[in-house]
Amino acid sequence: MTEAALKVVDLHKSFGAHEVIKGVSLEAQKGDVIAILGASGSGKSTFLRCINLLETPNSGDVYLAGEKMQMTRNRHGDVIPADIAQVERMRARAAMVFQGFNLWSHMTVMENVLEGPLYVRKIPKAQAREQAMALLAKVGLSDRADYYPAHLSGGQQQRVAIARALAMDPDVMLFDEPTSALDPELVGEVLAVMRDLAAEGRTMLVVTHEMAFARDVSTKTVFLHQGEVCEAGPPEQLFANPQTDQFRAFLARMN
Amino acid sequence: MDLIFEYRAQLLSGTLLTVQLALASLVISVIFGLLGAWAKLSANRIARRFANAYTTLVRGVPDLVLIMLVFYGGQVTLNNLGEALGLWGYIEISQFAAGAGTIGVIFGAYFTETFRGAIMAIPRGQIEAGISCGMPRGLIFRHIIWPQMVRFALPGFTNTWLVQLKTTALVSVIGLQDLVYNAFTAGRSTGQLFTFMAAAFVIYLTLTAISDIALRALDRRYSVGGVRA
Repeated sequence: MTEAALKVVDLHKSFGAHEVIKGVSLEAQKGDVIAILGASGSGKSTFLRCINLLETPNSGDVYLAGEKMQMTRNRHGDVIPADIAQVERMRARAAMVFQGFNLWSHMTVMENVLEGPLYVRKIPKAQAREQAMALLAKVGLSDRADYYPAHLSGGQQQRVAIARALAMDPDVMLFDEPTSALDPELVGEVLAVMRDLAAEGRTMLVVTHEMAFARDVSTKTVFLHQGEVCEAGPPEQLFANPQTDQFRAFLARMN
Repeated sequence: MDLIFEYRAQLLSGTLLTVQLALASLVISVIFGLLGAWAKLSANRIARRFANAYTTLVRGVPDLVLIMLVFYGGQVTLNNLGEALGLWGYIEISQFAAGAGTIGVIFGAYFTETFRGAIMAIPRGQIEAGISCGMPRGLIFRHIIWPQMVRFALPGFTNTWLVQLKTTALVSVIGLQDLVYNAFTAGRSTGQLFTFMAAAFVIYLTLTAISDIALRALDRRYSVGGVRA
């Protein structure tokens, strides 16, 4: 058994007195595509954001390819990163794709994709450009390299965001409801890119409301309910035979 | 016209001093503005309180009162303090330093709000995207926050800067020979006050027009990627 690409152990997260994540554990082997489902408020986005520390978990451990994210406590007892350099290094290996795309609006498509490789990974410029062009070709946007995000459709922006995440050459890709902000007719082009990534063996965590994507593409589906893993397993099994009332009710609402 | 030509040296040196004073105070106020905005947006409560006290105090008192307070009161206070502590001897605050410093600190309070608003106008998600790529804070500031902050701050910045440039005229009360002071002196001694005030009028208008052109160029440069309304 090789080291899991991503391992999360007993993660807890509260906002004030309200506990949003109540001890979630999860393991992704290399090449796994894990779909995380759940009603709004189930904590699925918060869980994803805790993995690359956009939110700081109150307790629990995150491992990327066996390396543990080192946390400590400050004098008020709050959990904080022990070593910010390590956190930055690990964040770069867990690239995030956001619901709202979050492209840098003052940079062209090319500059958006080049930023990480040039200034975080510190790859030579020529090589970074070549790689960026290849990634833009992969997401079908070679002809948009010099456009600014404001001049692209939502689907195109999200594909650029995926190229930007890929440019980090990450161990794991985290997708936070990547199609939820898109017009219905633009959802397909983004899902197609994600299917390609899954097919080439990328390790992905996908928080989504796209049931078909979860069912057809994921290697494992996790259903979160009120901050806890309610059901988890291979999608064919989960969708055909839901074990809990909560998941059955959720599926009924989604269809 | 002949009269103005005759007094051209005074008008020129006054203009030069006005420009120097405006630029020196601009540098100070931009530094104070950035520090103030940073403090107001900081998670540190003491920093936030300090910045709030600064903007409330400075924006609530007439500029003229502050300038005279610093120039006349500041010198005495500083020397009394030096004497009491025995740490330094007699210090003289130059009129220029008092003027530029005070105007700089005053307008720093206005810039604090301009910059704070500009930083808040940057979508939070863009900063999160930087964080999630593992970008260090300094890099996020230089590559993501600063270029967009400049864009969002420019309209307010232009406004405040024009007021600041004109506020330098107040230093004539502490005896600095700026454009207003020299024009006024020349006007009185020749009995042609109207002529010299008209000259000052034209010179100020020229200065503001020049800054307008410069700021427009800056606006063009930092507006890339924005959708023009």
